[in-house]
Amino acid sequence: MKRKFLRLAKKYGIKLLGITAFLGIWQAVVVGFKIKKYVLPSPVQVLRSLFDPTLAAKNQWWTQIAVTGGEILASFTVTLVLGVALALLIAWSKPLNKLLMPVIVVLNSIPKIALAPLFLLWFGYGIQSKIFVAVLIAFFPVLLNTVTGLIDVDENLLDLVHYLNASKWQTFTKIRIPNALPHLFAGVKISATMCVVGSIVGEFIASKKGLGRLLRSAQANIDMATMFACLVLLSIMGLLLFWLISKAEKLCMPWMNREAEEE
Amino acid sequence: MKKLLAVILAVAMMLSFAACTTTKEADTTAVATEDQSATTADAETTEAAAEEPAEKELTHVDFLLNWTIAADHSPYYVALDKGWYEEAGLDVNIIIGQGSGYSVTAIDAGTADIAIADAPVVFQYRNQGAQAKIIGIIFDKHPNAMFFWDDSGITCPQDIVGKTVAVPETDGHKVMWPAFAALIGVDPDSVEFVNIESTAKVSALASHNADVVFELLTGLPNFESAIPEGGFSYFLWSDYGFNCYAHSYITNDATIESDPEMLSTFLDVTYRAWEYTLNNPEEAIDILSKYQSINKDDLLKSLYIEFNFLKTENYKENGIGYIDPAKMQETWDLVNTYQTELNFGVDEIYNDSFLPKTPYTDFTME
Amino acid sequence: MKKRSNRLPGRKGSKLFKAMQNVVSILLFLLIWELLVRVLHIKEAFLCTPSSAIYHLFWPQPDADYHWIVNISATLKEFVISFAITAAGAIFLAVLISWSKAIQNVLMPAFIFINSLPVIAIAPILLIWIGYGLKTNIIIAFLVSFFPMLLDTITGLNAQDKQLLDLVNYLHANRWQILFKIQIPGAMPYIFAGLKISSTLCIMGVIVGELIASDVGLGYVIVNAQSTMDTPPMFASLIMMSMLGWGMYLAINLLERLLMPWSFLKDRVDA
Repeated sequence: MKRKFLRLAKKYGIKLLGITAFLGIWQAVVVGFKIKKYVLPSPVQVLRSLFDPTLAAKNQWWTQIAVTGGEILASFTVTLVLGVALALLIAWSKPLNKLLMPVIVVLNSIPKIALAPLFLLWFGYGIQSKIFVAVLIAFFPVLLNTVTGLIDVDENLLDLVHYLNASKWQTFTKIRIPNALPHLFAGVKISATMCVVGSIVGEFIASKKGLGRLLRSAQANIDMATMFACLVLLSIMGLLLFWLISKAEKLCMPWMNREAEEE
Repeated sequence: MKKLLAVILAVAMMLSFAACTTTKEADTTAVATEDQSATTADAETTEAAAEEPAEKELTHVDFLLNWTIAADHSPYYVALDKGWYEEAGLDVNIIIGQGSGYSVTAIDAGTADIAIADAPVVFQYRNQGAQAKIIGIIFDKHPNAMFFWDDSGITCPQDIVGKTVAVPETDGHKVMWPAFAALIGVDPDSVEFVNIESTAKVSALASHNADVVFELLTGLPNFESAIPEGGFSYFLWSDYGFNCYAHSYITNDATIESDPEMLSTFLDVTYRAWEYTLNNPEEAIDILSKYQSINKDDLLKSLYIEFNFLKTENYKENGIGYIDPAKMQETWDLVNTYQTELNFGVDEIYNDSFLPKTPYTDFTME
Repeated sequence: MKKRSNRLPGRKGSKLFKAMQNVVSILLFLLIWELLVRVLHIKEAFLCTPSSAIYHLFWPQPDADYHWIVNISATLKEFVISFAITAAGAIFLAVLISWSKAIQNVLMPAFIFINSLPVIAIAPILLIWIGYGLKTNIIIAFLVSFFPMLLDTITGLNAQDKQLLDLVNYLHANRWQILFKIQIPGAMPYIFAGLKISSTLCIMGVIVGELIASDVGLGYVIVNAQSTMDTPPMFASLIMMSMLGWGMYLAINLLERLLMPWSFLKDRVDA
């Protein structure tokens, strides 16, 4: 028990040390080179923006986190469901595949921010607009990875089950879907962070509250410290989501790799 | 191993292709800028041919705009096209802008010699240590406006209470809203704001998603083309007492010390070009279209609207670009009271000694 | 593990047929778009027809000159350079990360952190620090597109058949041999999936960079056009940009075909 505790302490201790060292250097650089606040704020200024009572009250951090967090979770759920459902459809039916994939690939490369006027026109500015934009931005990795996983199955295995007269449905559910799991999780991890980005883009396009809106507001007031604070919070949310998915991955696929077992 | 070699080969191919396009692109951008400077080069060569003896050395000036090309950028290209900058000894390089904030930081960092920026933004940055000063004014009257649907029940600015307003958080309108709210006697928080992208202003109004949209009056043609059936109106903030400076020419404190002549010369030529533009708007837009990809019709309409903010009594009397100390003080007061407490006096933010000695007032008032 | 030839009969001239199918799919989409705009009477200020956009792209306009060649080549150059850097960088980093758990623990959180930063929010900060132009656009494109590539490659490097690994370990293969002979070839499908995702993200990153800070390129044309609600050149730029992304996607497919010919005897899913 004690050894396990020591091991964990060592692992997280090193990370903590690394972060502290990084912050220390950052603070020293800002103070030492007399860098202006609007070029690079110091860690102290960023932390003050987050924790100083008067400043924090003005920014209403918890409200913003709740709003943006909600958008991220909602869009993530929709992305997962939509991405997987579409992937299953596309892998099942070749004509649908040929019809949809090229269009999806092409449309996916369009930066959604360029279509801001259109999105505002069509989606309005309720929470649905943020979810739509975030899903549009984040669903492609899930889709592509899952489709790859469903199609890219070991030929020998396919031959074997075909020989054993497996139906298309059986092949699909018993062979293709399990094979797709690692791909799916890789795609889901990518999409998770893109949901964070997508929510922010959605807020830039139309929002009344949220971290994205606060970011813009801070930008207007040349409050770099708050801008940085927002970015830090967003990254932490992304990290949290990523970590949760990694844990889920280990639960679903304990056989995955030997490094996973070491953990 | 073979596969690895194949991958390396492929990557190498891609990189060499990139390198090729680099050199090709260098040629094409050279061609593009060639087109732009072709006219100026011609002006130069005819100049040199005319007066053989002295090879005048031109002072290089990096002039940063405040945004992407708009109608009010035409005077600089007029001056460039007619060779007025060269005549005066300046080699002006016009750089597309990325916002007032970027203009001020560029001036402070020395990336640009002169730039255009929105006055309140300059105040805010100076407050945090930026060494930028205003040396000339562009719009004498503030172009801020509010657009709204006629059927939303708004008959005067005060009716905005309780309405939903769509405006980007980073927009000058939003930043100065508390000041305007105080002027018209409205609680700034009595309005609900939706943050949007600046490109979405027109669609925000057109879709009825917002009751009111804040936008510069120069955006009126955009609203008109998107909502041809009409049904909307606007109020100009300056009609209701909003007496604040907007677009201005700024430079670095250090440049004022080291290169005052360059500044005077630049402003003199530029305001001469403004006078010419005020008298020949169509030609100005034509010249602009030679250098930049623009839609001539839209920009011409925009230019005519901008005349409202340039053809003022004040300018007619004192010359285009005149800095009114009282108005500058008012700008200072507005920023100090409604935005950030300023740690410098109003005299530190501007320097009017570079304005043209003979003011340019020769334009028609209508 | 090699994925060998399949049981479905290959079709004669199937490559051309596949290419045709892609084109048909895109054309169908454009047709639906055109019809929707006309039938629903959508105003041009909000959404123009594809025909109008293409007309603005190929025919000189009386009231505006969009300098297409200059802008398209600027964007293309940025795209190719940033994609090359992203691909090479991501693969290198992935190998590094899968090499040692210690490195993984240090680098991965940093990368996830970076990837969660909405580039569009960092862009103003980058603008102040680096200015604008090719450098900034490459950085933005890299930030936007490296993570999927990285993650897919790592997954691929790690997803090896345990029995195979046991076998080569028994035969005393050293780390380098395992890396080059087992892991990287085995990771190829994942790498290519990653490349495909990253390519579309990369072109998007380049355009986002140009939207936020630039004076040349397709993104700049979009920004310029948006200020006057001039939608045809805006959508023409988007169409052009999609073509660039699609072209890169096809190039990657071609490369995949070259490097892993066995997986294409299956009547595969993508283009």
